[in-house]
Amino acid sequence: MTASPPPPPPSATTCPQGQVDPRRTSCPQARATSHAPRRRAPPPRPAPFALLALAFALLLPAGVRADDAVIHLWHAYRGVEEEALAAILDAHRRAGGPRVELLALPYDAFGSKLGAAIPLGEGPDLYIDSHERLGDYQKRGIVAPVADAFEGPAAFFANTIEAVSLGGAPWALPLSQKCVALYINLDLVDAPPATLEGISVLRDSLPPGAFPLVYESQSAYAHAALLGAFGGALLGPGDSFGFVGEPAERSLDLARALIDQRLVPADADGALVTNLFRAGKAAYAISGPWLAADLALAPDLHYRVAPLPAVEAAGGAPMRPLLTVEAVMLSPQGAQRAEVRALARHLASASAAQIRQDRARTLSARADVALPPGDDLLAAFAAQAAVAIPMPSSPAMRATWEPAQRALKKVLRGEASPRDATEGAQRRFDDVRRPPPPAASPTPLLILLGLLSLAGAFALVRRARSGELLPELRRSLPAYRYTAHAVVIVGLLVIAPLLVGAATSLFAGRPQDGLYVGLANFVEILTARGGPLLASGSFYVVLLVTLLWTLTNVIFHLAIGVSLGALLSRPTMRLRGLYRVLLIIPWAVPNYVTALAWKGMFHRQYGAVTGLIEGLNHLFGFNLEPIAWFSRFSTAFAANCATNIWLGFPFMMVVTLGALTGVPADVLEAAEVDGASRWQRLWRVTLPIIRPTLAPAVTLGAIWTFNMFNVVFLVSGGEPDGTTDILVSEAYRWAFTRDAQYGYAAAYAVLIFLMLFAITRLGELRSARRAARDRAAAAQAGAPGGVR
Amino acid sequence: MVEVSVRNVKKSFGATEVLRGVDVLVPAGGFAVLVGPSGCGKSTLLRLLAGLEEVSAGTIHFGEREVTHLEPRERDIAMVFQSYALYPHLSVRDNLAFGLRLRKTDDAVIRQRVDEVAGMLGLGALLDRLPKALSGGQRQRVAMGRAIVRRPALFLFDEPLSNLDAALRAQVRVDIRRLHDQLGATSVYVTHDQVEAMTLADVMFVLNRGVVEQAGAPLTVYDAPATRFVAGFLGSPAMNFVQGVIEASGDQLRVRVGVGDESLPIPAGEFTSPALIPGLRVDVGVRPHDLVLAPPGAAAFELSVDYVELLGPEIQAHGALAGAPIVAALETQSNARKGDRIPLSVKRLQLFDAESGRSLR
Repeated sequence: MTASPPPPPPSATTCPQGQVDPRRTSCPQARATSHAPRRRAPPPRPAPFALLALAFALLLPAGVRADDAVIHLWHAYRGVEEEALAAILDAHRRAGGPRVELLALPYDAFGSKLGAAIPLGEGPDLYIDSHERLGDYQKRGIVAPVADAFEGPAAFFANTIEAVSLGGAPWALPLSQKCVALYINLDLVDAPPATLEGISVLRDSLPPGAFPLVYESQSAYAHAALLGAFGGALLGPGDSFGFVGEPAERSLDLARALIDQRLVPADADGALVTNLFRAGKAAYAISGPWLAADLALAPDLHYRVAPLPAVEAAGGAPMRPLLTVEAVMLSPQGAQRAEVRALARHLASASAAQIRQDRARTLSARADVALPPGDDLLAAFAAQAAVAIPMPSSPAMRATWEPAQRALKKVLRGEASPRDATEGAQRRFDDVRRPPPPAASPTPLLILLGLLSLAGAFALVRRARSGELLPELRRSLPAYRYTAHAVVIVGLLVIAPLLVGAATSLFAGRPQDGLYVGLANFVEILTARGGPLLASGSFYVVLLVTLLWTLTNVIFHLAIGVSLGALLSRPTMRLRGLYRVLLIIPWAVPNYVTALAWKGMFHRQYGAVTGLIEGLNHLFGFNLEPIAWFSRFSTAFAANCATNIWLGFPFMMVVTLGALTGVPADVLEAAEVDGASRWQRLWRVTLPIIRPTLAPAVTLGAIWTFNMFNVVFLVSGGEPDGTTDILVSEAYRWAFTRDAQYGYAAAYAVLIFLMLFAITRLGELRSARRAARDRAAAAQAGAPGGVR
Repeated sequence: MVEVSVRNVKKSFGATEVLRGVDVLVPAGGFAVLVGPSGCGKSTLLRLLAGLEEVSAGTIHFGEREVTHLEPRERDIAMVFQSYALYPHLSVRDNLAFGLRLRKTDDAVIRQRVDEVAGMLGLGALLDRLPKALSGGQRQRVAMGRAIVRRPALFLFDEPLSNLDAALRAQVRVDIRRLHDQLGATSVYVTHDQVEAMTLADVMFVLNRGVVEQAGAPLTVYDAPATRFVAGFLGSPAMNFVQGVIEASGDQLRVRVGVGDESLPIPAGEFTSPALIPGLRVDVGVRPHDLVLAPPGAAAFELSVDYVELLGPEIQAHGALAGAPIVAALETQSNARKGDRIPLSVKRLQLFDAESGRSLR
């Protein structure tokens, strides 16, 4: 039931380093257009929360199902697409169809909501979703074959049928299709190139700063089109890794060559593609229909769309992008109702397709709906879709993205040959797709739980028999009334998810898959899955990176925070209040906003840091090269640290400012008279006095930094090659980008929890000991210790 | 041991002038007390001596050396603060050793000096305690010890006894003076307590409103106050003041007080100011202990007693003369009672110009 939606196909809307969801990131252009494919990155919502949501759902009045005649339809449409759907349903209703209740859900939450609701009978009768989730839905039993709702293959384009088929039979009815195609800036060129390599003739004829072609070269989704020209695919037969072997290597060689010859910018993300093309800085762009929506805002630009060109190196074969099909799917309950199947059939009918095409300008999956005359854009996309390769809907597909993307980046950065990179990627894929550990007997756990509850019951009975329990309970009743709501809320929001998370770590995959493996996840993590303990990506290496990360950050937070705090506490300083406010701002801004801003600054071509370097070159005649921040561990780590230090020092500064008010002025004067310099006063008097106040802040800061997912995930995203990932971001990847290994990710989380818990407990013990010492000393003060 | 010489020092905080040209000279090895009411500038002057504040004008010399603009640590001074200002994070031992450590003194020397001072002040059993585990008196001694251990040329005390209870205060006062005599360094001591000032000082500086009203040995200042302010500030109970006018009576001057014809003779030769001429308006000052019961007929005036305080060794009888409140400190045997009219004679009086407040002596 925890369902996360399927793979994060780093589509054209994906931001540079991969799985970043543009809704939350720097690709505003990718948002909110009716043409944009609804975002694919899975929600960072671990299992416990879904369970919790479910718990709440169960508490809600269950009256929604009262009317059996109503059909429930869930979708993720917005804007014109939603209007088109409403129009289609209106038509159906007028024709005597049953009443349909619509529920629009965010695309990200779609899969998890379906997974939570359908097994309980609370879900929709049918729903509209992307076809690539079908395999996952089938595995989880929340989709049923379409049976007689299907008109037969003849009415639809063949590859849309292929997209919605599992094991040769259709499991959904295709509605519309989307893929990327070639945008042509008619102000710069007048026709598509004969071949992809043919764009090289433009290199010298374009205005300065303009590229012959822009596309998301580091995105595996975009690269898939090139791979398709060479006859390759990301997912091979039998769910094997496809991005390996000759087609993969040749496609990589070509992509590399395009960048080396400066025909294509090196690290363009979706936003940059849009910006460059819209600004007339690219002759061609590879992108989807969503780009057209953005270009509507630039009426001065003249462009048209054509199918992607052929590739000379592939013997003249055309580029073949991945195809996404919107399809209507039936839930197992809905599939049993004839009127639901009839509605599904209607939704996929030619008349409905016509409405969608007219109102929302979507490209229909039906072959029998004529394209609107004169609509070149739709015609071009239709031509492109005809040769596009349906995105595999197997759940294995989601495990291909991360290794493929990393291999692609490595090759484009020149760090590895295509062969080494793809073979490494295959090993990574196989590691992720390794068979789950053997099922373990839950007996030991049950015995342990049994013993624990027995001991608890025994203790309870003993207290009850001593005759004190009941009177005590009665006495405490008012206290319970005051605390009960807090206990319930903390229990539901904190304790329950924690326990669910801990329980999840004992299962392979999702707990509801039912494969109990005992402590096998922990064993695998702690033994680096049988590989060398210090191999890249092993628990120990990531732990070391995490510790280095925490230490570096906390040291800088302390040093900068304490220095600024000490400076700002000087009463003689002018404009203190102003500085104080300014310096707290980094803390007040939501940290992901800061993280994205810093990530932008570190962009190799268009970032502020590069701008600074160019400015220095220009001003002083230096010859500094722009730094590719995320291509080396050291610079990527430094970029992460810089961001997090910026985020973290104000906290220490504020704590220091507070602590400094507890330093008596005359003690400092006494030190001054005693002969201490300014520095000695700080080091030998002020700091020791504020240390007890700073200590808890340092502990807190260390814990926050240890778990600072946002910065690592958004700034370096683990680049290069996952080396800058810390434990939490690694755990996230196992859960959400690597084959949904929730149990494995939960085991990471449990290990993180245990480590932090131990560290905090140690700190608490230390301060408790200190407090006891102080109490003893205070007691002594009462006793005479000297003459008077 | 150094001579401390403050010349025409002024100090302002913004528009507020706290010291308005102060001269202070403390002989080497002397014990000087700066005394005055709150806000008179005495603490500011001490902080200028310490180097914790910068003078606005004037100079400060320690012996031959000008220290006006030196940092505190360059002045070879030690200071005992009113709040003691012990380092809360250091044990007594480390508090004592702090200044020596900063000066990179040899460890053996530090140990020896700390032990010596601890012995001197009875701190031996407390050396490993933190300040918060000490009583007020113990903290005060640690603060003293911290000053002594460095063997500075000049000790500065900023109201060091004000946080102690009365009994302890009297004892520590004696200890401080003993220590001073034993160590021989120059000391400058700030207090608002005239008893401390009188008992401790070799030389006393009475400050008022940023100027030194009078400097000198305590008894001199007490017996011959230069101004009405000094006369009123020193002595307990405070001096009685009555307004009067000088008049001639034969070849002798007398001062007539009040509306009646009561007048007091002015002892010949004691008041020699040329301003002293008949008709001058003056304030007559008489200390309560200089009012004594007079044999019948010899009384200068009669005091009608409206309140009596029995202190044990003496009686303080309250009444009024010419509208001014009068206190007379009488022997207990005098048996003065409320409602009595008692004849008093004046053993000794002071005359101050009513305009300027200056002594007419």
